[in-house]
Amino acid sequence: MTLSNVSVGKRVKIKDLKTDKNFRKKLMELGLFPGQIIEIIQDAPFGGPMKIRVKDYCIALRRDEASGIEVEEVE
Amino acid sequence: MSKTIKVALAGNPNTGKTTLLNAIAGTNLRVGNWPGVTVEKKEAVVNYNGYKIEFIDLPGIYSLGNQTAEEKVTIDFLIKEKPDIIVNIVDSTNLERNLYLTVQLLELEIPLIVVLNMWDEAVEKGIQIDVKKLSELLCCKVIPTSAVHKKGIKEILDSIIELAEKPKFIQCTHFESQVETFLLELADEIRKKQPILFDLFPKRFLVISLIEGIDLQNFGIEIHPDILKKAEEIRKKLEKLYKKDISSIIIEERYSIVISIYEQCVKKDTIKDVDTTLILDKIFLNKIFGIPIFLFLAWLMFEFTFELSAPYVDWLDSSLSNVIANWAYQGLTAINAPEWLISLITEGVIGGVGFVLVFVPVLFFLYIFMGILEGSGYMSRAAFLMDRFMSFIGLSGKSFIPLLIGFGCNVPGVYATRTIENPKEKILTALMIPFMSCSARLTVYAFFVTAFFTNHKALVILSLYMLGIIVAVTLAFILHRSYFKTESQHFILELPPYRIPTFRFIMLSAWSKTKAFLIDAGTFIFATALIVWFLLNVPFGVQSKEDSLFGHIAKVITPIFEPLGFGHWEASGALITGFVAKEVVLSTMGNIYAGEVVEEEQQKIGIIEGLKEIGVGFINANIEAGKKLISLFGLISNEEEEEPADNTLLNAVRKEFTPLSAFSFLVFLLLYTPCMATIFAIKQELNSWKWMAISVMISLTTAWIVSFTVYHIGKLIISG
Repeated sequence: MTLSNVSVGKRVKIKDLKTDKNFRKKLMELGLFPGQIIEIIQDAPFGGPMKIRVKDYCIALRRDEASGIEVEEVE
Repeated sequence: MSKTIKVALAGNPNTGKTTLLNAIAGTNLRVGNWPGVTVEKKEAVVNYNGYKIEFIDLPGIYSLGNQTAEEKVTIDFLIKEKPDIIVNIVDSTNLERNLYLTVQLLELEIPLIVVLNMWDEAVEKGIQIDVKKLSELLCCKVIPTSAVHKKGIKEILDSIIELAEKPKFIQCTHFESQVETFLLELADEIRKKQPILFDLFPKRFLVISLIEGIDLQNFGIEIHPDILKKAEEIRKKLEKLYKKDISSIIIEERYSIVISIYEQCVKKDTIKDVDTTLILDKIFLNKIFGIPIFLFLAWLMFEFTFELSAPYVDWLDSSLSNVIANWAYQGLTAINAPEWLISLITEGVIGGVGFVLVFVPVLFFLYIFMGILEGSGYMSRAAFLMDRFMSFIGLSGKSFIPLLIGFGCNVPGVYATRTIENPKEKILTALMIPFMSCSARLTVYAFFVTAFFTNHKALVILSLYMLGIIVAVTLAFILHRSYFKTESQHFILELPPYRIPTFRFIMLSAWSKTKAFLIDAGTFIFATALIVWFLLNVPFGVQSKEDSLFGHIAKVITPIFEPLGFGHWEASGALITGFVAKEVVLSTMGNIYAGEVVEEEQQKIGIIEGLKEIGVGFINANIEAGKKLISLFGLISNEEEEEPADNTLLNAVRKEFTPLSAFSFLVFLLLYTPCMATIFAIKQELNSWKWMAISVMISLTTAWIVSFTVYHIGKLIISG
């Protein structure tokens, strides 16, 4: 399952980052590394970006970028 | 003589870095650009306890990489300029992610002070941070502050001086011992082969960068091949050992330091109050209402900027032309100054000052409202909402507001790009703004539609606005797909909590930015205005515009406009003055077509009378602005009067233009270089003569090509 098809309100755990090297580095430096639990808070209209919570803050990612982030559901 | 201490402020975006610098430095803040890039630079000098402390505000960054312009500027400064002290500003409410940068900064082996900003907010949220423990674990001073409430400022200054007097740095954050052994191994190799590297780079930073395979080329030093070989060997060993790529290993090592520190120092009470940000985002980012709310706010901002500043613009204008110019005239005639000198002072110099000053109220209001939108955290929401629509031409939602402001006036539009951090987006937006049809151009359209298109006034004007947008979007699309193709497309946008911006901070930063305009672009605008005055008045005593240097130049360039349908020197002359400001196009045409305007008999104004006029004018401007503020919310209806068009000019223009050539002229007027003020604004904001020149070139060629196309298609339609 990738982050892009997780619905709003769900909490998931990052499994793998299947993105290019630079972007993976960026994501990890922001705290989005495998094992991290994140929560999908909201999504933008017309298939725009999605707002997620990681650690103590929120960021937005575009859908196609989120599709490179593999996740699994947590209880 | 006082000792100088160089202090760099570093931290993540949205940590209140600039607010803190403002609280420390007050009005001493200087706003500019880092050399060669479109990244904002803020500096301030503070005299404290006999020391001269130089603060340099580094761009807000999440990590010390070399991927973005902001990161490059930061690492370059820290390595090459070697500040005495780094003050690392950290958001107390978001400590974990913020500490990542702190751990990286510690690798630079520069004395560090960690500032826990937004301390009150953390307390309110029930976050307890053990400051003493944190200080012990990081081996550096940690100070809780609240920049907004100016708490902890004195402690920061005292700690800076204490640290400057007794510089100390202890490295006490370490990776896993396995990794540390490899670091030592490479350090040994460097000591053997090229020990000079240790004088140029911080040891730990150097070793980690080499193992990670980060290019250190732009620091201008060749690394010994044996060292590079050794680094690669180690990299391969580590990657095999951890079964991960090297960057992941290093980032995870840093984060494990962060997490361990975080867990030892931070306790969170169960959240007692409601999360306001979450609720506000439910409204502002709502799938249905989000965009309408954004459009409403954008409209409100447009109205605020232009409507509220208008009375002050009028006041400045009339004070200058009615009072100051009058005084100058009287003074100069009293000492029998020659005619040309009087004209130079009253028209050239005072007029030039006027061209600059009229922008001051507009920019000041713009910066205030931009400050509110940014300081509250809304601006990143705008980017979030509009991303879907803007991303296909390489822009984000942040470009929307500058483009919209451009319809009022291109100059504040260009300065509004200040909020766009991404250099590529910023350049693209600044290049698009000149095609947004500003209100000064509307005066010319209005006149021409009265002359030629009485039955289709609105349609013609609307078509011009649309044409400008189409050209801008096409331009952005082409540049996005060609010149900027290699730029990273990744979009990561932090959505910080909503915060109430402080009034003092907003006023201070609006003022320092307006001041930067006066010093930078203002100088060039003034100089250009003087040159134009010179062209219009040389040879001195020239009676008709046709015989002036300006007239000659207009005649030389006239053939260029022949294929566009308006190859007469009067039209090209009007276009040249349109370069100064579009407001003067009509008056130039009036001047040229309808002959010399009769000089108005100037009434003498005494000193007291004049001062009174300026004073009363200012009070009236305030009243007027107040009324407009109320009328914005629909309480008083504010009717604008339309000025009747000059009949002589109407007839003269009807003789010279056909409806088609008039339309072609308007298209050219829409698309060619907006005015000198916009050009110098682009130069200042993008910090580049190159982009300024590119913008001018694009405007001129696009204007010519589109006008040519419009004129010839029109001719085909008419004849066919």
